[in-house]
Amino acid sequence: MEEFLEKFEKNFWKDWEKRKTWDEIQPGELRPSHPVTLTKEMIQKFARAIGDLNPLYFDEEYARESPYGGLIAPPSIHIMLMFACTPHDDWMKEPGTINAGQSWFYNVPARPGDRIRLVCKALDRFIKKNRLFVIHENVFYNQKDEVICSGRGWTIRPR
Amino acid sequence: MEVNRESIRGFAEASLDFNPLHLDDRYMEGSSFGKTKYQGVIAHGMMNFALITRMMTDWLGPRGGIHRRLETRWLKPVYPGDVVSPQATISKKLKTVKGQWVLFIIEVKNQTGELVAQGEAMAEFPSPQS
Repeated sequence: MEEFLEKFEKNFWKDWEKRKTWDEIQPGELRPSHPVTLTKEMIQKFARAIGDLNPLYFDEEYARESPYGGLIAPPSIHIMLMFACTPHDDWMKEPGTINAGQSWFYNVPARPGDRIRLVCKALDRFIKKNRLFVIHENVFYNQKDEVICSGRGWTIRPR
Repeated sequence: MEVNRESIRGFAEASLDFNPLHLDDRYMEGSSFGKTKYQGVIAHGMMNFALITRMMTDWLGPRGGIHRRLETRWLKPVYPGDVVSPQATISKKLKTVKGQWVLFIIEVKNQTGELVAQGEAMAEFPSPQS
Protein backbone atom coordinates (compact mmCIF):
# COMPACT_ATOMS: atom_id res chain seq x y z
CA MET A 1 0.00 0.00 0.00
CA GLU A 2 2.84 2.39 0.87
CA GLU A 3 4.28 2.03 -2.60
CA PHE A 4 0.89 2.66 -4.19
CA LEU A 5 0.33 5.79 -2.08
CA GLU A 6 3.81 7.08 -2.88
CA LYS A 7 2.94 6.98 -6.56
CA PHE A 8 -0.56 8.42 -6.14
CA GLU A 9 -0.62 12.13 -7.07
CA LYS A 10 -2.53 13.95 -4.34
CA ASN A 11 -2.23 17.35 -5.95
CA PHE A 12 -5.32 17.39 -8.17
CA TRP A 13 -4.21 20.78 -9.53
CA LYS A 14 -1.15 19.26 -11.20
CA ASP A 15 -1.69 19.32 -14.98
CA TRP A 16 -5.38 20.07 -14.44
CA GLU A 17 -5.67 21.81 -17.82
CA LYS A 18 -4.96 18.49 -19.53
CA ARG A 19 -8.15 16.90 -18.24
CA LYS A 20 -11.21 16.67 -20.49
CA THR A 21 -13.70 19.49 -20.25
CA TRP A 22 -17.45 18.92 -20.35
CA ASP A 23 -17.37 19.53 -24.12
CA GLU A 24 -14.70 16.87 -24.61
CA ILE A 25 -16.30 14.12 -22.51
CA GLN A 26 -17.72 11.59 -24.96
CA PRO A 27 -20.69 9.60 -23.63
CA GLY A 28 -20.18 5.92 -24.38
CA GLU A 29 -16.39 6.13 -24.59
CA LEU A 30 -14.49 4.12 -21.98
CA ARG A 31 -12.44 6.12 -19.47
CA PRO A 32 -8.88 4.82 -19.06
CA SER A 33 -8.40 2.82 -15.86
CA HIS A 34 -5.86 0.43 -14.35
CA PRO A 35 -6.22 -2.53 -11.98
CA VAL A 36 -5.28 -2.10 -8.33
CA THR A 37 -4.59 -4.71 -5.65
CA LEU A 38 -6.78 -3.94 -2.65
CA THR A 39 -4.91 -4.35 0.62
CA LYS A 40 -6.06 -4.87 4.18
CA GLU A 41 -4.45 -1.54 5.06
CA MET A 42 -6.47 0.32 2.41
CA ILE A 43 -9.69 -1.27 3.66
CA GLN A 44 -8.99 -0.54 7.31
CA LYS A 45 -7.86 3.04 6.67
CA PHE A 46 -11.09 3.69 4.78
CA ALA A 47 -13.25 2.08 7.46
CA ARG A 48 -11.51 4.02 10.25
CA ALA A 49 -12.05 7.31 8.39
CA ILE A 50 -15.80 6.90 8.96
CA GLY A 51 -15.42 5.38 12.42
CA ASP A 52 -16.50 1.94 11.19
CA LEU A 53 -14.78 -0.74 13.28
CA ASN A 54 -16.94 -3.63 12.06
CA PRO A 55 -14.96 -6.83 12.90
CA LEU A 56 -15.64 -8.13 9.37
CA TYR A 57 -13.03 -5.58 8.26
CA PHE A 58 -10.56 -5.93 11.16
CA ASP A 59 -10.80 -9.27 13.00
CA GLU A 60 -9.53 -12.16 10.85
CA GLU A 61 -10.79 -14.89 13.19
CA TYR A 62 -14.24 -13.33 13.52
CA ALA A 63 -14.46 -12.83 9.77
CA ARG A 64 -13.32 -16.42 9.08
CA GLU A 65 -16.17 -17.78 11.22
CA SER A 66 -18.71 -15.43 9.58
CA PRO A 67 -20.76 -16.28 6.46
CA TYR A 68 -18.10 -14.38 4.46
CA GLY A 69 -15.34 -16.80 5.45
CA GLY A 70 -12.70 -14.07 5.77
CA LEU A 71 -12.03 -10.36 5.92
CA ILE A 72 -14.03 -8.20 3.54
CA ALA A 73 -14.20 -4.49 2.69
CA PRO A 74 -17.16 -2.24 3.47
CA PRO A 75 -19.49 -1.96 0.46
CA SER A 76 -18.59 1.73 0.10
CA ILE A 77 -14.92 0.90 -0.63
CA HIS A 78 -15.71 1.77 -4.28
CA ILE A 79 -15.39 5.44 -3.24
CA MET A 80 -11.66 4.94 -2.79
CA LEU A 81 -11.30 2.47 -5.66
CA MET A 82 -12.73 5.03 -8.09
CA PHE A 83 -9.75 7.28 -7.47
CA ALA A 84 -7.27 4.42 -7.11
CA CYS A 85 -8.14 2.79 -10.44
CA THR A 86 -8.16 5.93 -12.61
CA PRO A 87 -5.17 7.90 -13.93
CA HIS A 88 -4.26 11.39 -12.73
CA ASP A 89 -5.67 13.01 -15.86
CA ASP A 90 -9.11 11.43 -15.38
CA TRP A 91 -11.80 14.12 -15.49
CA MET A 92 -13.28 12.91 -12.21
CA LYS A 93 -10.19 14.36 -10.49
CA GLU A 94 -10.84 17.85 -11.87
CA PRO A 95 -10.81 20.38 -9.00
CA GLY A 96 -14.30 21.77 -8.48
CA THR A 97 -16.12 18.60 -9.56
CA ILE A 98 -19.34 18.51 -7.55
CA ASN A 99 -21.08 15.27 -6.69
CA ALA A 100 -24.84 15.65 -7.18
CA GLY A 101 -25.94 12.07 -6.55
CA GLN A 102 -25.00 8.41 -6.71
CA SER A 103 -26.67 5.02 -6.99
CA TRP A 104 -24.83 1.74 -6.37
CA PHE A 105 -25.77 -1.94 -6.41
CA TYR A 106 -23.63 -4.45 -4.50
CA ASN A 107 -23.00 -8.03 -5.60
CA VAL A 108 -20.02 -9.77 -3.96
CA PRO A 109 -17.82 -8.10 -1.33
CA ALA A 110 -14.33 -6.88 -2.15
CA ARG A 111 -11.62 -8.64 -0.13
CA PRO A 112 -8.01 -7.97 0.83
CA GLY A 113 -5.76 -9.22 -1.96
CA ASP A 114 -8.39 -8.77 -4.66
CA ARG A 115 -7.05 -7.44 -7.94
CA ILE A 116 -9.72 -4.85 -8.69
CA ARG A 117 -10.59 -3.74 -12.22
CA LEU A 118 -12.83 -0.81 -13.11
CA VAL A 119 -14.79 -0.36 -16.32
CA CYS A 120 -16.19 3.15 -16.48
CA LYS A 121 -17.59 5.67 -18.91
CA ALA A 122 -19.83 8.69 -19.23
CA LEU A 123 -23.37 7.82 -20.31
CA ASP A 124 -24.85 11.25 -20.87
CA ARG A 125 -24.14 14.96 -20.49
CA PHE A 126 -26.61 17.81 -20.28
CA ILE A 127 -27.09 21.40 -19.11
CA LYS A 128 -29.61 22.16 -16.40
CA LYS A 129 -30.03 25.45 -14.48
CA ASN A 130 -26.83 26.70 -16.18
CA ARG A 131 -24.84 23.79 -14.82
CA LEU A 132 -22.85 21.24 -16.79
CA PHE A 133 -23.87 17.73 -15.77
CA VAL A 134 -22.35 14.36 -16.65
CA ILE A 135 -23.89 11.01 -15.82
CA HIS A 136 -21.33 8.24 -15.57
CA GLU A 137 -21.45 4.51 -14.93
CA ASN A 138 -18.88 2.35 -13.20
CA VAL A 139 -18.48 -1.40 -12.70
CA PHE A 140 -15.85 -2.92 -10.43
CA TYR A 141 -14.71 -6.52 -10.99
CA ASN A 142 -12.42 -8.80 -8.99
CA GLN A 143 -9.72 -11.10 -10.41
CA LYS A 144 -12.35 -13.79 -11.08
CA ASP A 145 -14.32 -11.31 -13.20
CA GLU A 146 -17.10 -11.34 -10.63
CA VAL A 147 -18.94 -8.04 -10.36
CA ILE A 148 -18.24 -6.45 -6.98
CA CYS A 149 -20.55 -3.50 -7.48
CA SER A 150 -21.94 -1.28 -10.17
CA GLY A 151 -22.97 2.32 -9.90
CA ARG A 152 -24.06 5.49 -11.55
CA GLY A 153 -23.09 9.01 -10.57
CA TRP A 154 -24.26 12.49 -11.42
CA THR A 155 -21.55 15.16 -11.26
CA ILE A 156 -21.53 18.88 -12.04
CA ARG A 157 -18.47 19.79 -14.07
CA PRO A 158 -16.46 22.93 -13.26
CA ARG A 159 -15.76 23.71 -16.95
CA MET B 1 -20.83 12.00 13.42
CA GLU B 2 -19.21 15.37 14.00
CA VAL B 3 -17.51 16.67 10.89
CA ASN B 4 -14.36 18.73 11.30
CA ARG B 5 -11.33 19.60 9.24
CA GLU B 6 -9.45 16.63 10.62
CA SER B 7 -12.17 14.14 9.72
CA ILE B 8 -12.50 15.68 6.23
CA ARG B 9 -8.72 15.43 5.73
CA GLY B 10 -8.83 11.86 7.05
CA PHE B 11 -11.56 10.96 4.58
CA ALA B 12 -9.60 12.57 1.72
CA GLU B 13 -6.55 10.47 2.61
CA ALA B 14 -8.58 7.27 2.94
CA SER B 15 -10.72 7.79 -0.16
CA LEU B 16 -7.93 9.36 -2.28
CA ASP B 17 -10.31 12.20 -3.15
CA PHE B 18 -8.16 15.33 -2.84
CA ASN B 19 -10.56 17.72 -4.57
CA PRO B 20 -9.80 21.24 -3.20
CA LEU B 21 -13.53 21.62 -2.46
CA HIS B 22 -12.75 19.69 0.71
CA LEU B 23 -9.30 21.00 1.59
CA ASP B 24 -8.63 24.53 0.36
CA ASP B 25 -10.51 27.48 1.91
CA ARG B 26 -8.86 30.01 -0.38
CA TYR B 27 -10.06 28.12 -3.46
CA MET B 28 -13.59 27.95 -2.07
CA GLU B 29 -13.72 31.65 -1.24
CA GLY B 30 -12.68 32.64 -4.72
CA SER B 31 -14.78 30.18 -6.65
CA SER B 32 -18.14 30.46 -8.27
CA PHE B 33 -20.28 27.36 -8.71
CA GLY B 34 -23.13 28.78 -10.74
CA LYS B 35 -25.65 30.11 -8.25
CA THR B 36 -24.05 28.14 -5.43
CA LYS B 37 -21.67 29.92 -3.06
CA TYR B 38 -19.95 27.96 -0.33
CA GLN B 39 -18.71 29.37 2.96
CA GLY B 40 -15.39 27.52 2.89
CA VAL B 41 -14.47 23.88 2.52
CA ILE B 42 -17.23 21.26 2.53
CA ALA B 43 -17.23 17.59 3.47
CA HIS B 44 -17.20 14.96 0.74
CA GLY B 45 -20.72 13.94 -0.27
CA MET B 46 -19.33 10.43 -0.34
CA MET B 47 -18.45 10.70 3.35
CA ASN B 48 -22.19 10.84 3.95
CA PHE B 49 -22.61 7.95 1.52
CA ALA B 50 -20.11 5.89 3.52
CA LEU B 51 -21.78 6.83 6.82
CA ILE B 52 -25.18 5.75 5.49
CA THR B 53 -23.59 2.49 4.34
CA ARG B 54 -22.10 1.98 7.80
CA MET B 55 -25.51 2.53 9.40
CA MET B 56 -27.04 -0.03 7.02
CA THR B 57 -24.37 -2.71 7.54
CA ASP B 58 -24.39 -2.17 11.33
CA TRP B 59 -28.15 -2.76 11.43
CA LEU B 60 -28.38 -5.49 8.80
CA GLY B 61 -25.42 -7.65 9.85
CA PRO B 62 -26.81 -9.00 13.14
CA ARG B 63 -30.21 -9.52 11.46
CA GLY B 64 -28.83 -11.61 8.58
CA GLY B 65 -29.49 -8.95 5.95
CA ILE B 66 -27.22 -7.88 3.11
CA HIS B 67 -26.88 -4.26 1.99
CA ARG B 68 -27.63 -4.39 -1.74
CA ARG B 69 -28.30 -0.87 -2.97
CA LEU B 70 -27.99 2.77 -2.04
CA GLU B 71 -29.11 5.80 -4.01
CA THR B 72 -28.45 9.30 -2.68
CA ARG B 73 -29.00 12.91 -3.64
CA TRP B 74 -27.00 15.67 -1.96
CA LEU B 75 -29.21 18.59 -1.00
CA LYS B 76 -27.06 20.86 1.17
CA PRO B 77 -23.33 21.12 1.83
CA VAL B 78 -21.89 19.81 5.11
CA TYR B 79 -19.36 22.16 6.75
CA PRO B 80 -16.70 21.61 9.43
CA GLY B 81 -18.50 21.85 12.77
CA ASP B 82 -21.69 20.21 11.48
CA VAL B 83 -23.00 17.05 13.09
CA VAL B 84 -24.61 14.68 10.59
CA SER B 85 -27.04 11.93 11.53
CA PRO B 86 -28.16 9.35 8.97
CA GLN B 87 -31.50 7.64 9.45
CA ALA B 88 -33.25 4.81 7.60
CA THR B 89 -36.97 4.08 7.71
CA ILE B 90 -38.41 0.85 6.35
CA SER B 91 -40.83 1.70 3.54
CA LYS B 92 -41.67 -1.74 2.16
CA LYS B 93 -41.01 -5.45 2.50
CA LEU B 94 -41.59 -7.75 -0.43
CA LYS B 95 -40.75 -11.17 -1.84
CA THR B 96 -39.49 -11.75 -5.34
CA VAL B 97 -39.17 -15.10 -7.13
CA LYS B 98 -35.89 -15.83 -5.35
CA GLY B 99 -35.50 -13.27 -2.64
CA GLN B 100 -36.85 -11.31 0.30
CA TRP B 101 -36.25 -7.59 0.14
CA VAL B 102 -36.62 -4.63 2.45
CA LEU B 103 -36.72 -1.07 1.09
CA PHE B 104 -35.66 1.95 3.13
CA ILE B 105 -36.09 5.72 2.92
CA ILE B 106 -32.78 7.38 3.78
CA GLU B 107 -32.35 10.81 5.30
CA VAL B 108 -29.27 12.60 6.60
CA LYS B 109 -29.88 15.65 8.78
CA ASN B 110 -27.49 18.15 10.31
CA GLN B 111 -27.53 19.47 13.88
CA THR B 112 -30.29 21.97 13.09
CA GLY B 113 -32.51 19.30 11.58
CA GLU B 114 -31.91 20.42 8.00
CA LEU B 115 -32.01 17.63 5.44
CA VAL B 116 -28.56 17.48 3.79
CA ALA B 117 -29.05 14.24 1.85
CA GLN B 118 -31.86 11.88 1.01
CA GLY B 119 -32.20 8.63 -0.84
CA GLU B 120 -33.31 5.03 -0.85
CA ALA B 121 -31.68 1.76 0.11
CA MET B 122 -32.42 -1.91 -0.50
CA ALA B 123 -31.45 -4.91 1.58
CA GLU B 124 -31.81 -8.60 0.83
CA PHE B 125 -32.59 -11.25 3.40
CA PRO B 126 -31.58 -14.54 1.78
CA SER B 127 -34.20 -17.29 2.06
CA PRO B 128 -33.08 -20.21 4.25
CA GLN B 129 -33.26 -22.60 1.28
CA SER B 130 -31.27 -20.37 -1.10
